[in-house]
Amino acid sequence: MKDLIRIKSMLSTETEKHLNQQIKKEAYASAIYLSMAGWCDRNGFQGAADHFYKQSDEERDHQLKLFKFLSDMGGTAISPEVTNVKQEFGSFREVFEEALEHEIAVTQSFKNIMAHLHKEGDYVTAEYLNWFLKEQREEEYVARRILELFDVIGEEGTGRWDIDRHIHKIEYNEA
Amino acid sequence: MALIRTQFTSRKLEEVFSTSAGAVYQADSERCLYVDFAGKRTRLNFLCFLRLKTAVEKVDIEQMLLDAEAPDLEIISICACEHCFVLDATEILAFRELLQGAFVMFKLNHIIKDCLYRLPVS
Repeated sequence: MKDLIRIKSMLSTETEKHLNQQIKKEAYASAIYLSMAGWCDRNGFQGAADHFYKQSDEERDHQLKLFKFLSDMGGTAISPEVTNVKQEFGSFREVFEEALEHEIAVTQSFKNIMAHLHKEGDYVTAEYLNWFLKEQREEEYVARRILELFDVIGEEGTGRWDIDRHIHKIEYNEA
Repeated sequence: MALIRTQFTSRKLEEVFSTSAGAVYQADSERCLYVDFAGKRTRLNFLCFLRLKTAVEKVDIEQMLLDAEAPDLEIISICACEHCFVLDATEILAFRELLQGAFVMFKLNHIIKDCLYRLPVS
C-alpha cells in the first residue's frame, strides 16, 4: 500500500498544526504592533511609532515565511483570523512592557515547537526554524533594551521625548 | 490490510481501516481513497479526505445533543468534492472513529515503510 500521507506532505499532522498556530501568532503580532504604532502616533511618539510600524512589517514577513514553508512542504497553510487586537494602552511604558511580554511568548512558542520537532525527529523543519530562534534573540534584546531606557533616562520632564528619540538607535550586534 | 477486488472494475482496493459502521479503502492505482459510510461509497483524493476528517472533527456534538434548538442533523460538505454527508450525532461519532482509525493506519503504514524500505541499507 502506498504511503499516501508521506507522498502528500513532508510534515506530520501535529507539526502542521503547530506551524499553523505559529502563523496565527505572527499575524496577531503584526496586528498588535500596528495597533501600538497607531497609539504612539496619536500620542506624539514619532520614534516609537516608526519602530512599531517596522516591527509590524517584520512580523508579517515571519508569517509569510512560515506560510510559504508549510505550503512548500505539502501541508495546508491556513490564512488566520485575527481578532481582539488591543487598541488602547495605559501609558507609553505599558506599550513597551506589552511588546516585550509578547516577544517572550513568541520565543516560548518556538521553543515548544522545537521540542516537538526533536521528539518527532523532524530535523528538516527544526533546521528551518533555527532562523526564527535567532531572530527571537534580536527581538527580545531590542524590546528589553528599550524598556530599560525608561529606567535609565526616566520619564520625568522631557524624559519620554528623549526615550522616543533614542529608540531607533538600539540595535542588536551579535557577540 | 485486506486486499479486495471490486466487482465491476479491476481496481484493487486495500482496506485501511474498518469498523462496524463503515470502512476506508485505498486504491494505489488511482492514488485515492474510498469511504464506505452511511450507505454509500465516496471516492476522495487524500487532500479531500484530510479536509473531511477536519470537518467531521469540528462538529460540536455537545451542542447538538444539549441545545434543544440545534438541528439534529449536520450537513458535512467539503470544497472541491461533490459529496456531502447528512449525519446525526451517533453517526458523526462513528464517522470520527472511522476517520481517526484510518489516519492511525496511515501513520503505521508510514512507519512500516520507513523501517522496511527507506532506512535499511541494501
